[in-house]
Amino acid sequence: MSDFGFHLAFWSLAAMTLGGASMIMISRNLIHAVIWLVMSMLGIAGLYLTLSADFIAVVQVLIYVGAISVLMLFAIMLTPRAERDNSQTKASAPAALVVILVMISTLWVAVDTDWGAVREAALTEQARLIGESLIKHYILPFEIGAVLLTAALVGAIALARQDDEDAAVHAASLQAELEGEESIDPVDVVDPPIVSDTEATS
Amino acid sequence: MTDFTGLTSVLGAWYDFRDLNNLQRLITEWIADWGPDWLASIITGVLGALGVLGVIGPTLLILIWVERKVIARFQQRYGPNRVGPRGLLQPVADAVKLILKEQLAPRAADKLIFFLPPVLIFVPGILIWGVLPFGPRMSVADLNVGVLFLLAVSGTAVLVIFMAGWSSNNKYALFGAMRAVAMSISYEVPMVLALLTLVVFSGTMSVNGIVEWQQQEDVIFILLFPLSAIAFFFAASAELNRTPADISEAESEIVAGYHTEYSGMRFGLFYAVELGNTLVVSGFIATFFLGGWWLWGLDQWVPSWIILLIKTGAVYFLLIWTRGTLPRLRVDQLMGFCWKALVPATLLFVVVAFVQRTLLISEGWDTTIALPIMAVFNIALTLGAIMLFARVSRPAPLRRPARIRMAGAQIGGLRAAREVASRTEEPQFQVGGD
Repeated sequence: MSDFGFHLAFWSLAAMTLGGASMIMISRNLIHAVIWLVMSMLGIAGLYLTLSADFIAVVQVLIYVGAISVLMLFAIMLTPRAERDNSQTKASAPAALVVILVMISTLWVAVDTDWGAVREAALTEQARLIGESLIKHYILPFEIGAVLLTAALVGAIALARQDDEDAAVHAASLQAELEGEESIDPVDVVDPPIVSDTEATS
Repeated sequence: MTDFTGLTSVLGAWYDFRDLNNLQRLITEWIADWGPDWLASIITGVLGALGVLGVIGPTLLILIWVERKVIARFQQRYGPNRVGPRGLLQPVADAVKLILKEQLAPRAADKLIFFLPPVLIFVPGILIWGVLPFGPRMSVADLNVGVLFLLAVSGTAVLVIFMAGWSSNNKYALFGAMRAVAMSISYEVPMVLALLTLVVFSGTMSVNGIVEWQQQEDVIFILLFPLSAIAFFFAASAELNRTPADISEAESEIVAGYHTEYSGMRFGLFYAVELGNTLVVSGFIATFFLGGWWLWGLDQWVPSWIILLIKTGAVYFLLIWTRGTLPRLRVDQLMGFCWKALVPATLLFVVVAFVQRTLLISEGWDTTIALPIMAVFNIALTLGAIMLFARVSRPAPLRRPARIRMAGAQIGGLRAAREVASRTEEPQFQVGGD
């Protein structure tokens, strides 16, 4: 790839990333903000491609665009409508201050650091190398991550799970509410007296 | 395998239609003589994209007719047969009608996000074609993370569907979008696991590499990992919103799902992309599990892309068959089937693939002897898993329930039925008659 093509790709992707990021700040609607965030993420994935990091770029799209943004959309959909508006923020001044400080320090580091330019050709078998280093050198962090994710999965199931007895009590209390009754004995619902077959047919 | 390289070099000229890459290479070399590098890469990219579009565009028009006609045959009716010879011009008439229709947008719709999805849905739909190899050197981009690229790009379509459903400001559209998102997130898991078996076993993530592995070992993956093929097939048909799993646009429940509010050609675009995705997924199933462009040496004589298209057509017919035959699943059944049946089964086969790969590589088993044994073992395992699933999921004969749920404080439900039954002497319903 010659310099012209590279520069074209870099500057348009940078514009896409920064434009998306600034639109997140401007847009009042949180769903719009998420969609601008997706655009920003796609720009970052493109920037990875210009660095010849195919694997990272594809994983960026797979995880951030395909999964995390959908998760954010779900979270927004599950919050009450009144709290979805972005306009009520009272802490905007200190937040802006923090953001500016972080940006200045990041830029400082980025400009100040002596970045070593890599002159060799890009690695072709990146996925294989990443996989090998994950299961050889970094096996412990890898395993810890796996255990953490499993624990999160089990925890989510435990939170979302509704026992049969809970469901029965809930349904019965709903019905009692509909029929105007004061309260209902949970024990009676969980173990209702079963009409035996002999009784029913006699 | 017989060596046909001599023949290939003789016919390696640009007019050799067995490998369309020759022509493109000629053009690239010709441009590189006088033009800069970037022009050559741009022109080859555009040529590849045009080639893909040139395949999809006309094929879609024919596929609409094929699909309607085949489904009609499955349902014992004639299908479209009025417009043109044997109804062949029906898709054209439909397209003209859709273009002429008024484009409506709900007043309360989110205007920007409402207009974007019919256009954006094309992006993943076209990008996926990029990694589909039509021949040894005939894919637009032969990435070495091709399988991952396929998953990443198909995952972004979910976001577009969500945008369509949310911005319509219609509860049915939102239902459809939520269902589509939940379904594709769930079915991505068995899909990834089914592909992981192939990636583990062949040791490459390039789509072309997987085909080359099958060519090298003289075996197709559906024989080695039949359950992965079945799981991938069903997961793909769920991701494509096709009938056994089209709960996100179930017309008897939620009007038309996420594209309820889209009229005219905007709906037509969704429809076209859905058909195009079906075609490309058939192509990928043919590539991953049926050997793609390779067919036991026949690819030396017949152009490889014709072999791939024939295999794709066979898989596409299978997809139409399931669509025309199977009833639609309920939401909970679909999710339950994914998480309780497909995920454990594909996970089991990932472990099997790891073990067998280790036997082949580390233990150094001879592939010509080991592969048939593994194939027989895996087919037996698949049959066992399917029979176990059938046994477990068979509806249990309903006897006296252990306890009555949700009967509530007052009499109702089963107790009331028993009460009625106890009062009358004769049985309520008589089966048959005299």
